[in-house]
Amino acid sequence: MNKADKIFISMVICCAFLFYVPLFISDYQNKGKQKEVVVSYKNEEVLRVKLDQNGVYQVNGTLGPVDVEVEASAVRVEKENSPYHLCSVQGWVKEPNRPIICLPNHIIVQIEAKGDVENSLDTVIQ
Amino acid sequence: MRDIRKMTQVTMLISISILFHILESMVYLPIPIPGFKLGLANIVGLVALYHYGVHTMIQVNLFRVLLASLLRGLLFGTAFWLSLCGVLCSMIAAIIAYKKTPMSFYGVSVASSVFHVIGQMIAVSFLYQQLLMGYLLPILMLLAIPTGIGVAYIGKEVQKRLAIY
Repeated sequence: MNKADKIFISMVICCAFLFYVPLFISDYQNKGKQKEVVVSYKNEEVLRVKLDQNGVYQVNGTLGPVDVEVEASAVRVEKENSPYHLCSVQGWVKEPNRPIICLPNHIIVQIEAKGDVENSLDTVIQ
Repeated sequence: MRDIRKMTQVTMLISISILFHILESMVYLPIPIPGFKLGLANIVGLVALYHYGVHTMIQVNLFRVLLASLLRGLLFGTAFWLSLCGVLCSMIAAIIAYKKTPMSFYGVSVASSVFHVIGQMIAVSFLYQQLLMGYLLPILMLLAIPTGIGVAYIGKEVQKRLAIY
């Protein structure tokens, strides 16, 4: 490994850490805001519940039903039918910037902080 | 005669890369990070780049994505577009690193792995309208460094043995 390789690898490491800065900023901004869980199937919203509304909700994915569990201000995919079960392995998610994406089922589980919806509507109107 | 020899070798490289591609999609790595792969098929792409040149690498990688998706019955499906976008970005990065920078086999391999991840993230963002998926990008970029170095090590060993012929 020569000097150019080492410089490139250090640049990649720096970039990786820099990518986290906006995520930390938005996590900080969303602190204390009311949050909602939004489940979409093929980019269409199929479920929206408040993050403090505990329970197990079932939605239909491409490969069968997907159980989404909301508990203690966190959400996870509890049960689904996919080859590697990556989205259920991903576990609990508490922050808005970490969607759970189940590619084989075309399901996206995402937390939205209240205020996000208004912002996105403004973008559409523009 | 030389052309036939080269054509046969390139065909064998394509078949090996297809095998790696399919094997990798069948083997489950117990890591809860979606999209993480070892990139074994990249070994063949890099060997093609260093042993035969840019054109052969493009041939090997594009045929690999096309034929592996066709064999798995996923042609023009989500996995195909993810692979294609990843492989295009990875090839561009590898070619630039190979031609325009003094990077060694290891650097080219790491560049190729890192940009494969970036390409796949671009494809995911387009397909799922999910720019937020970017939170995975830094983790995958960091993981691409050791896998890139591992791939380069194997590629270098293969290249040494190929140099005999």
